[in-house]
Amino acid sequence: MTTSNPFLIHSQENVVIKNSDDKSWVFEVGKDGNLWADFLQMTDDLKVVVNLQDVNARCQINCAYLTNKNNKINIDIKVLHKSKNTTSEQHIKGIATDESRVSFKGIIEIPKSSQKCDGRQHHRGLVLSPKAKIEATPQLEIWADDVVCSHGSAIGPLDVNQLFYLQTRGLSESEAKKILLSSFLGDLMPEEFSDTIQQWMDENA
Amino acid sequence: MTALLEIKDLHANVGNKEILKGLNLTIKAGEVHAIMGPNGCGKSTLSAVITGNPAYTVTAGEILFKGEDLLKMTPDERANKGVFLAFQHPIELPGVGLAQFLKAALNAKRKANGEEPIDAVQFMKYMNVRATALGISNEMLKRPVNVGFSGGEKKRLETFQMAMLEPDFCILDEMDSGLDVDALKVVGQGVSVMREPKRSFMIITHHDDLLQYVTPDQVSIMRDGQIIKTGGPELVEQVEASGYDNF
Repeated sequence: MTTSNPFLIHSQENVVIKNSDDKSWVFEVGKDGNLWADFLQMTDDLKVVVNLQDVNARCQINCAYLTNKNNKINIDIKVLHKSKNTTSEQHIKGIATDESRVSFKGIIEIPKSSQKCDGRQHHRGLVLSPKAKIEATPQLEIWADDVVCSHGSAIGPLDVNQLFYLQTRGLSESEAKKILLSSFLGDLMPEEFSDTIQQWMDENA
Repeated sequence: MTALLEIKDLHANVGNKEILKGLNLTIKAGEVHAIMGPNGCGKSTLSAVITGNPAYTVTAGEILFKGEDLLKMTPDERANKGVFLAFQHPIELPGVGLAQFLKAALNAKRKANGEEPIDAVQFMKYMNVRATALGISNEMLKRPVNVGFSGGEKKRLETFQMAMLEPDFCILDEMDSGLDVDALKVVGQGVSVMREPKRSFMIITHHDDLLQYVTPDQVSIMRDGQIIKTGGPELVEQVEASGYDNF
């Protein structure tokens, strides 16, 4: 994997991609349609709009960001539940080091006519250096009353106690960080991105 | 017996508060040395300072391990020289499998000793022998480190890690707090099996529970950041009979 901001569309049943230039995507998911896409952002902005157009449309957007140096990136993900009975999930996790800055904005919009929708958004960020910064703005615009929605965001440093515990077992600070960072990302990103992620860890942990 | 660990006039702080106030202690190779003292006397600070916990600052004194200046080393360098701490409160590592973690630790030690990494088959054999001896199931080996285990199981796992890494100097920090008799036996058994002429143990405790399963060679009484008395196992009985006030 050589591209710096890889993506992978696992599933696009009844999905129309309206526009894409790798940085900006508009998806339209039709009746019973299913979109599942993964994005890994390192240097570029990402803008994703998903329109859930008709009943039983669903989407899962997974996004990881790994930023270093003085890179600044914006990640905007917007899911519009345009029809009743639609489902969305957004999982966003990322790590910022050096003087990099990440601004994440996630929107779930459910108009009044779209009852029985389920929209979820979860974001976690790790800040590895004092000059790195992650900002998250989760935004829920829910006008329907019979829906399930959840969102959560947590941003913090690596746990010093975990780091110390690993070091007392003989692992260097850098090895210990790599283990903790890999476990933080977990299986959010697909196998196809693992070389890119490993390389980033080797250079930045 | 030669000295494995020598601590001379050690002073250490947490923030601005002095916890260790001129502590002297020598532990010889092959010795099981109990450190007994009331809560708050600085016992856990001592283990944290020996292992290089960055939350503590050494303001004066020295620690020699195998004749080398331990305070100049990073926590992992200390570990790879043979220092091991069984934690009072083992840290949970979600998403980090125990077997994978132990393999990484074992290979870090081998690398520090100029040895090749252990191969997968050899590692499984090496691990399974020790797991079976300490009643660690296959299912436990697959789970993330310390996540979702009871207090007793966590201490059993610390003992297992100690058996895996075969350190020359094992610090057991309050391993007996909150342990039932069965778990105490496992920890005691782990120590007894590993006892050998070149390996030393420092058992930190405030009562005699674990010491009923492991008879120490030496006992030091700690109060207010200092070692105030060192003697034989008879000191354990004195503590049990009349507490720490008479020292």
